[in-house]
Amino acid sequence: MSLAKLPQFLGSVNPLLKIVLSIALTACAFALKSVGANLLLVSVLLVLTFVSVRVERKSVVGVGVFLLIFTGLTGTLSGDWGYAGLGAARLLVLILPALLLPATTAPGDLVRAFQAVRLPPFLVLSLMLTWRFLPVIQQEAQRIIEANLLRGVDLARRPGLWFSGLFTPLIFRIVSYADDVTVGLETRGYDPDSPRSTSQPLRWRPGDTLFALGAAALLFAVGGLEWTA
Amino acid sequence: MEKSMEQRWQLKDYVFAALMTVGLAVTAKVTQPFASAIPLPGATTIAWAPFAAIFLTLGMARLRRSGAVALIAGVLALILGIISWTISAFLVAALLAAELVGLVSGGFAGKTTRLVANMVFFAATCLTGWFIGVTFLRGTPVGDLAAQWLTQPWVLVPAAMVSALAGAVGWWLGEQIVFQLQRAGKLDVAR
Repeated sequence: MSLAKLPQFLGSVNPLLKIVLSIALTACAFALKSVGANLLLVSVLLVLTFVSVRVERKSVVGVGVFLLIFTGLTGTLSGDWGYAGLGAARLLVLILPALLLPATTAPGDLVRAFQAVRLPPFLVLSLMLTWRFLPVIQQEAQRIIEANLLRGVDLARRPGLWFSGLFTPLIFRIVSYADDVTVGLETRGYDPDSPRSTSQPLRWRPGDTLFALGAAALLFAVGGLEWTA
Repeated sequence: MEKSMEQRWQLKDYVFAALMTVGLAVTAKVTQPFASAIPLPGATTIAWAPFAAIFLTLGMARLRRSGAVALIAGVLALILGIISWTISAFLVAALLAAELVGLVSGGFAGKTTRLVANMVFFAATCLTGWFIGVTFLRGTPVGDLAAQWLTQPWVLVPAAMVSALAGAVGWWLGEQIVFQLQRAGKLDVAR
């Protein structure tokens, strides 16, 4: 799903708090069996998604079609459509935080979060590079697909050409990126074994307290609905 | 030039591993939306393996030593763990299995070791994913379906075998790219 960023309040929330909440929501998705509790979570997450990020119409349609296929298949196989619908709601509780967290967390914030939990510097470097280059490599893949289209090759309809037409040139680009990034870091004197310093260490702000209280209230409400169901 | 187990990891190794992690993540993003809609055992692994194994093979071929798979898949597990700890769980189980192969073989310098490591990685992914599905997803359509099939080895064993074969296909494609990169002077690897 492509998400264009908007001015957002979630972007200013402490990234560690968002990570903890995301993990809690994943646990909820596995634990909750009540329709009401799942729907409450899905509603809040949908509101947060549409308030925090600009979601393209085609992405909404894509996710809708995917959920329909998922519900249809599980409904057909299990023979219980209510059960299949509940499965789709739980899937949304899993998917939406996964979309919200990357879309509202800058790479720098994520690095500060990982530094705050004292991860080894080499791991912070790997995480930072992965987070930073994921969109770049996706753009590269898109460019390669478009270049193929200009030559009259529609890769979407010709999976037989994926390897030679997409993966091989993409990997060559990735290897070139790896060389360039290494040279760039070395010329800046970066040492993966030395501890990193930061000019803006992660701080807990009053807004984070409010967000944490709101999240706790939501989880209590969800727990209450599950308990009474 | 062989890399010994004692040789320190260098900056270029970390960067290369990180970009292979990106490759794994991109292949997951491409294949999972389609594959996860199929509530059949191992479907997600079988769809992901041929593409993901290309990046694992490339990473193993370049880094050569034990720890390569852990560095590539471990970072992915850490990132995806923010989203879902179950994904991290089966990735960690799979990378431990593949690292065991590397440890026994003294690294990933050989093509055969890379093949076996890939097959073990994806078979372990399939089996651990199934175990997690049964243990933690009870009460969901996917979990109940997995539990229903777990008692039937004629489904579980072929699913793990097909996952391993899909990993082998990815390994073969990966070795082709290693060869091309080597010919282009972009990769210094042992073959």
